[in-house]
Amino acid sequence: MTRWKPVLVWLLGVWMVVVCWAAFFYAPTAQGFKGESARIVFFHVPQAWVAVVAFCVNLVASIRYLRGRDPVDDIRAAAAAALGLLFSVLATISGSIFAKIMWGSFWNWDPREVSIAILLLVYAAYFALRQAVPDEERRGTLSAAYAVLAFVTMPFLVFVVPRIYWSLHPDTLINTSGRIDMESRMLQVLLGSVAGFTGLFAWLYSLSVRLARADLRRRQQEGG
Amino acid sequence: MPEPESLFWVAAVTVVIWVGIFFYCLRLDRRLHQLERGE
Repeated sequence: MTRWKPVLVWLLGVWMVVVCWAAFFYAPTAQGFKGESARIVFFHVPQAWVAVVAFCVNLVASIRYLRGRDPVDDIRAAAAAALGLLFSVLATISGSIFAKIMWGSFWNWDPREVSIAILLLVYAAYFALRQAVPDEERRGTLSAAYAVLAFVTMPFLVFVVPRIYWSLHPDTLINTSGRIDMESRMLQVLLGSVAGFTGLFAWLYSLSVRLARADLRRRQQEGG
Repeated sequence: MPEPESLFWVAAVTVVIWVGIFFYCLRLDRRLHQLERGE
């Protein structure tokens, strides 16, 4: 894996340039949207997808920490939560830009907007909790337990609540009738972007964990 | 419908942002690699 890593990293770099080009020049203009606003879907949906993946990784690492008390699992959980929060913020910003173009306001108190705002608060509280506890082991245990509870809210806020109430938000990729109603070139670009963003998440996650582990080793050496 | 030229500039800005993030992460990756080898 280490031998192939530089190749994969450069492949990701080129892949995302192609995705950016394809999002604007290969995919056709979507029907029923103002101007070219629908092109934001090629970035907004992958950002939301990566946030969900990151929160899943956070859950797995938190459960592992609660079972084994390995500080590296705590590092993994925190890195995943930070990336989940980052990509949730990016998805909220890109969604707000779309909302401004389509509905004239950045924020419309739509169920999907409110549910993502609550999700942001839930995971922001995870970091507030981490900051509030100075002891590393206690912090790891409390934040891992909190992460398990936080994850329970995630499927409701991301998948259930926006589907219960009437929403301005366009149909999701797999719509209520269980079908994918998207032009084939748009779907190709969207899936390509989802793959690229997932690769980007894997890289950023690996960097965050390595950085935090280096910091942990340094602190352990300083502490004797 | 915006002019094709304006779409070009939006695409160009997106690519520039991505290239910036990519090279920043690449540099961080290399520095971390050096740090890990030095330990």
